[in-house]
Amino acid sequence: MTQQKKVIPNKLPGEVFKALEAVVGKENITEDRAIVETYSKFGIDISGFLKKHAKDPSNIPACVVLPQTTEEIQKIVRVANRHKIPFVPVTNGQLGIANMPTTPAPTLFIHFSRMNNIIEIDEESMTMRVQPYADYAQVQAEAMKRGLWNGGTPLATSLCKISSQAILAGLWQTSKKYGTIGKNIVSLTMVLPDGEILKTGSCAVEGVDDFWEHAPGPDLYSLFRGSAGASGIIAELTIKLHPWPGKESLPEPEPGRPSIRTYYDERYDKADPPENHRLYWIEFKDLESQIQALREMAHAGIGIGLNAAGVYNSYYCSPTQELTLKRVKEKFFPAYNLYVISACFISEKQLAYEEKVIQRIAELYGGRFLSSEYKPEVLEALRPWNLDCIRHVCGYRMSRHFYLDTWFCSGVPDIGTDAQKIWTTAINTVGETYITDRGGVDDTPFMYATDPAGRNFFTEADVYPNGLDPPSLQKAQQLMLFSIGRTFGQKIGPGVTGFGATFEPFTSFFPEMGPDVYLLLRAFRKVMDPNGVCAPGRSVFTEEEFKQFPAQLADAINRLREMNGLEPIRVPGKHE
Amino acid sequence: MSLKQQLANIVGSSQVIDDAVICEGYAKDQSFVKGKPPDCAVRPQTVEEIQEIVRLANRAKTPLIPYSSGLNLHGATLPANGGIVIDLTRMRKIEINEKDWFVIIEPGVTYEMLQDAVTEKGLRLMVPFGVPPGRSVLTSYLERDVMLAAASLEYGNNLIFDAELILPQGELLRTGCWNLGGRPGGFYGPGLNMLYKLWTGAQGTLGIFTRMIITVQHFSPQRRFFFIPFNSSEEIADIVKLIQRKEIGCECFGLNRFNLAALLTDEWEVPRQFPAAKKPSAQFDIVKKTLPAWTIIVGITGSPYFPEEKIQYEEDALRELCKEMGRAVDTRLPGFPDLEAVFLRESLRPWGILKKFNYRGSVHDLSFKVPLKRIHEVETAIAAGAQKDNYAAQDIGGYFVVMERGRAIHGEFDFHCDPTASEEKDRVIKMWLTASKDLMDKGALFDRPYGDWADMVYSRAPQYALKLKQIKQEMDPKGILNPGKLGFKFQKTEDSCQNSE
Repeated sequence: MTQQKKVIPNKLPGEVFKALEAVVGKENITEDRAIVETYSKFGIDISGFLKKHAKDPSNIPACVVLPQTTEEIQKIVRVANRHKIPFVPVTNGQLGIANMPTTPAPTLFIHFSRMNNIIEIDEESMTMRVQPYADYAQVQAEAMKRGLWNGGTPLATSLCKISSQAILAGLWQTSKKYGTIGKNIVSLTMVLPDGEILKTGSCAVEGVDDFWEHAPGPDLYSLFRGSAGASGIIAELTIKLHPWPGKESLPEPEPGRPSIRTYYDERYDKADPPENHRLYWIEFKDLESQIQALREMAHAGIGIGLNAAGVYNSYYCSPTQELTLKRVKEKFFPAYNLYVISACFISEKQLAYEEKVIQRIAELYGGRFLSSEYKPEVLEALRPWNLDCIRHVCGYRMSRHFYLDTWFCSGVPDIGTDAQKIWTTAINTVGETYITDRGGVDDTPFMYATDPAGRNFFTEADVYPNGLDPPSLQKAQQLMLFSIGRTFGQKIGPGVTGFGATFEPFTSFFPEMGPDVYLLLRAFRKVMDPNGVCAPGRSVFTEEEFKQFPAQLADAINRLREMNGLEPIRVPGKHE
Repeated sequence: MSLKQQLANIVGSSQVIDDAVICEGYAKDQSFVKGKPPDCAVRPQTVEEIQEIVRLANRAKTPLIPYSSGLNLHGATLPANGGIVIDLTRMRKIEINEKDWFVIIEPGVTYEMLQDAVTEKGLRLMVPFGVPPGRSVLTSYLERDVMLAAASLEYGNNLIFDAELILPQGELLRTGCWNLGGRPGGFYGPGLNMLYKLWTGAQGTLGIFTRMIITVQHFSPQRRFFFIPFNSSEEIADIVKLIQRKEIGCECFGLNRFNLAALLTDEWEVPRQFPAAKKPSAQFDIVKKTLPAWTIIVGITGSPYFPEEKIQYEEDALRELCKEMGRAVDTRLPGFPDLEAVFLRESLRPWGILKKFNYRGSVHDLSFKVPLKRIHEVETAIAAGAQKDNYAAQDIGGYFVVMERGRAIHGEFDFHCDPTASEEKDRVIKMWLTASKDLMDKGALFDRPYGDWADMVYSRAPQYALKLKQIKQEMDPKGILNPGKLGFKFQKTEDSCQNSE
């Protein structure tokens, strides 16, 4: 009988715990093993799961603290700085601390569940100021009462926190018109890693209203957008709102529903699109004609959302995993398609006009509308999208079978072809972990227009390994790394994760980015976080952290680099 | 080896200029900012040449001032400490991507050149109202000049895609899809989402851009312009808000009677030099008296498919809304039957308004952003302040453009001044500074702090200014790139290579 390795989590020094307790009170801090362990299990990243299997205690925070005010955040951060304790700001916790491969030190989780308020809505300037734990559902519900909305929700559900998205992706079904969230932030109130406050946007200037996204001169929000929480903590943020042409409310699912994998409710899943909105689904014979039509639809200036989805529809639109797999195997949903979300702001004539344009473009590229005459059963099955394209609540159905990790790539519409080729090569080289890994191989990769004229599309391929099976996880990790390496090797796309968020070890191990952008990012980190305590090792390594990077992992990355025609990266002290 | 010789080794001796008269020219524009003539100007043509020049300036610890067209008109390219002007006007390549509607440009490409080039291809460049036709498009976009169609989130801002720049110590950096060296088509990354935005509004203090991709739009021959007259700015916000909430139109902006009259004065021409020669016009005075206090201009544009139908439903909605609000709306103003034709032209090449420079020779604007609802309040404050200094309110030019469906307006209010009349100039400088401070006190955002505005603005944003300075110090430890701007000082050392002061 083999002896189980005992996992002994790190502990904070007693004086640090006491200092933190003095800030938030006994009720809002814990190092209870059962609780801190729970906080380490939110992640959807493969490396986090592998760490669990490896009994790596660095995956478990030493302590969780729940501040309620900006001042409390400042005090917590100052304590951490004083004692050189690494800390990680956490909302839904998907990133966890798995992306911190060089920080085995006791780590503090700062969780914001007590900071979930909408602070202020300015209807005239169409802005809303919120705390870091406010989510999309909250924001939309309040904005829509006032004839406004925030412009979209992510596929990862409307329970995503706006603050987390503001420093990550914020990709929406409606990104064609409204862009990703990076274009929808008016201001951030940051608690910097040293405890100081920095405001971005117009309110950085004393006496100026919080209404415009640029502070005077260079835009310092640029240092936070995509920083994955490693440049400081968002204590408050103000988002843009936009005119909302629908009714004052949308049908609301039960609270907590997005976490329930098999939940299916006809009141929501078979609803019509919101008032003054329509969805059009069009099938194409191949990827090429689909891409041509996507480009042309975008050029036509119609619609608020323009996207394509293949195998993923089976997850989003099926009430059970059994039906999902049946639909995948039977290729129930069209392999090549697009859908347009049309909204009427001006008059009924706008909807009629847009429909006419969509019909014309579909004709030009051999597209066929799903309708009561053509594949009505498929159109019916797609009804969950009617509301989800505006306020997404069923996205986590895709996590039924341990959805873990996504590979992104973006560029002009032809990126769809590149994404299909890269992902197909990855699957053919590494192998699939589950049948739905083949999304984007046998059908279209997910494609989202993120620019009003369709100059930029995000493509996405997802991996569905068995989280309880380490070989399956390792294979999934290889799929991801291979695809990323291939993206670099072929000089396609904007970077590691496609939307411009930065994670180690890619930042340091792919100096092709920029080139050498890691040096610039190190300089920024030095300014924002002189003691290197905020999510260290996540976004960009210091030189010291880089030297400490495990040789075995470095060698594995270098093998992938070489497979894709890239020179290996030498780690000082390890490869000299 | 002298600095000039080292520069000549990089670009050839014919591209290094130290003629005193020419160098004087680099040290002045029509603004109140005072420059110090550079030791010389150097005119590179390639990225590698720029990198070498930047490295040389670092070694020599001499200021390096990026210059693309010299038409910022607010002193952003005037050397504060002498040094080397790096004149990028020879870099004028244009590459048009007709398939995906973007253009690759170098810093020497001007608005006039580019608009001509893209309209030939059935595309349209978004242009700021009142920009000189010879202004560098790249610099203008980088400096966040506000496009005429800023009303719409889609077409107003965020028009920059991939870019290429040289950092202050000579390293090359590419953003967007270019960051991997591959084909263009993005604005994300490297590393950080839309990292390029760090360099916007930076006045060339954090890097030198060598190439940029900007988006262009479909050029529809079918377009219409409508005019809504107002007796006072007090009534503007309500109706503009309704138009914007319904998302009617592409352009939406306002001109007061001074500015509209200047635009419509045939006796005046668009100057090519700033300051311009003063030219009295009787026609201007007459036209000004005939026009309403403010005119709101709404442009509706067609699309590639069924353009007339699109224009028609937007026009119907605009007319219906104005009718409900009891407002006149038409494609002309009384006495100006050809007004629509003027704006069909000006919306693409909006430099006719520069005729206003004929009034006194130089124009000094207050350029700021406020929420839409505050348009009347700021106009009143500017007029009241001017009258205290015996400057007639009716001689203030007024323009604003609606941004992001009415979230804000970008306003430009002008004081006119004869730069050759020292007493008048001193009075206008004083008035302009007072008005700037007064507007800042009232909460107007001066997000592009040129000249004297920098100290005034950053004293109100100390933490932001501190972090900017720390970032600048990390990126440009010797402080060579355009020192003196944004409050960034040049630390002259004993071995600094520059003219004696």
